[in-house]
Amino acid sequence: MRTGRDLELVAVTKRYGTTVAVNAVSHLFIEGSYVCLLGPSGCGKSSTLRMIAGHETVTEGAIILAGKDIAQLPPARRGTAMMFQSYALFPHLTVRDNVAFSLKMKGIDKAERHREADQLLDLVGMTALADRLPAQLSGGQQQRAALARALITKPQVLLLDEPLSALDPFLRIHMRAELKKLQRELGITFIHVTHGQDEALALADEIVVMNNAVIEQAGPAREVFNAPKTAFVARFIGGHNVLALPQGRFAVRADEVRLAQDGAEAVVTSVEYQGAHVALNGRMAGNQEILALIPEADFFADPKSPGDSVRLSWRADRAHPLEA
Amino acid sequence: MTATGIRRANFWGGVITALTILMALIWAFPLYWGVISSLKPEDEVVRPYIELWPENLTFQHYVHALTATQIGAWYVNSIAVAVGVTVITIVTSMLCGYALSQLQFPGRKLLWWLILASFMVPTQALIINHFVLTSQLGLINTWAGIMLPQLIHPVIIIVYKQFFDQVPHDFREAAVMDNAGEFRILFRVYLPMNWGVTTALSIVCFIWTWNAFLWPFLSVTRTEMMTITVGITQVNDAFGVYYARELAAAVLAGLPVALAYLLFQRRVTEAITLSAGIKG
Repeated sequence: MRTGRDLELVAVTKRYGTTVAVNAVSHLFIEGSYVCLLGPSGCGKSSTLRMIAGHETVTEGAIILAGKDIAQLPPARRGTAMMFQSYALFPHLTVRDNVAFSLKMKGIDKAERHREADQLLDLVGMTALADRLPAQLSGGQQQRAALARALITKPQVLLLDEPLSALDPFLRIHMRAELKKLQRELGITFIHVTHGQDEALALADEIVVMNNAVIEQAGPAREVFNAPKTAFVARFIGGHNVLALPQGRFAVRADEVRLAQDGAEAVVTSVEYQGAHVALNGRMAGNQEILALIPEADFFADPKSPGDSVRLSWRADRAHPLEA
Repeated sequence: MTATGIRRANFWGGVITALTILMALIWAFPLYWGVISSLKPEDEVVRPYIELWPENLTFQHYVHALTATQIGAWYVNSIAVAVGVTVITIVTSMLCGYALSQLQFPGRKLLWWLILASFMVPTQALIINHFVLTSQLGLINTWAGIMLPQLIHPVIIIVYKQFFDQVPHDFREAAVMDNAGEFRILFRVYLPMNWGVTTALSIVCFIWTWNAFLWPFLSVTRTEMMTITVGITQVNDAFGVYYARELAAAVLAGLPVALAYLLFQRRVTEAITLSAGIKG
């Protein structure tokens, strides 16, 4: 539901010379939501984030936060904060001084800024490491410190530029749960840029899929995953087959495709055991690739091998017509 | 690596070490010879054969240099000029390097090319202009006159620019988000991130200025205003050819620089590496 403190992009465009990085993008980010900007490299998601932060100028359009156009304001006066991919912790300052840096720039006295920094460090579970230098921290600890530093400005919107990409897979899963928890506790808007579909699905209240400088689709994570509008979204979000059927182009989730007695004919091209599922790749008429994620027990009840002819089917209501 | 390989590596390592020691001796011998000669009586210095150690060790030439010349004033002049030049050069070069690296302004590239082009012009080619200008400004025989033409060190600007270019852009953006202006970004973030660069460049700049001869020689005519490198030439003028005295004065002149090298060896090497291939 729309509130007076939402963030809205109105026909925001970014051009670098003749190259259009972001093309008239309009979107409403509801206050207090966790939004993931998802897309491949060069799709314009980072440029969009950087324009919201104020690190890139807006060529055309407006960025409205809480009813005010912030597009021309300096970064520090926008009501946004950013957590950088590299964390950008100043290496010569302790964690506490890093967190308190913006308060120092505002001329707040040492005792007060340290008190506030300590509160934030407590929030992210870093109190014990407050006197360490960034080089003495692990990747996850650096990320928490960077979060605390971003949050000390009490932003209305926190911008996260691929915050998990520098972490190992195990820590990434752990930290994304913490990010989500923190966002719920704080109740502010998080805009998180990622090219990881699983990350977006796990975190986002809303996923905004970008491609070629425009938004291809935006909506709740389940909606985007279950009903991709375009072939690009279906392929990018993963786990979907894009099939050209006589009625048109459709997206069918791979885990909805079943081995059946009747259905589309296909020849198995590869079989891959994935634990809970077996990934069966096949080739249908018209040289179309199809992926079926078959529950392990079902597959091994009647195992298939490459070269076998099979029939594959799916529920008609699970095939989503694609717009493009 | 095989046993033969290790033996071969050890052999060549030994050869290289021996060559390095030989080169070091060739470089160090004149220094040794200068110091040792300054500790000999004058008649020992002019003997026609080599004596590696004084027969009669004496400090009389040092006593003479310290008491019978204006070496005290020359030291003061050298210290004032070297410290002044170092501080002003480092601060202005740092600001210039930062602006060239981080700020967008009209004429930035032109300015950068001008600084690079300044390598093409040797200082000696400008020395008459410098002299005329300094003279017209009434600065001959003043510290300001000695310092002014020495305040331009393009190599320091270039090293600073390169250093600022290498600082990841995220640091700048993070500081901007935290409401830091350009001066604060420079002095609170960029410089403290690596004081080593500034320390190294300061030491090298101090040494260059301390050792400078041509300009201080031209811009000063009064003995009491001379820097030490110029002043020690007066020992010769005043007393005729007294090798040991001259060498004692030269050792005293070089002492602060030698101390700086000893104390900040690592920083000096770092600065030389930083400016390697840049200095014209």
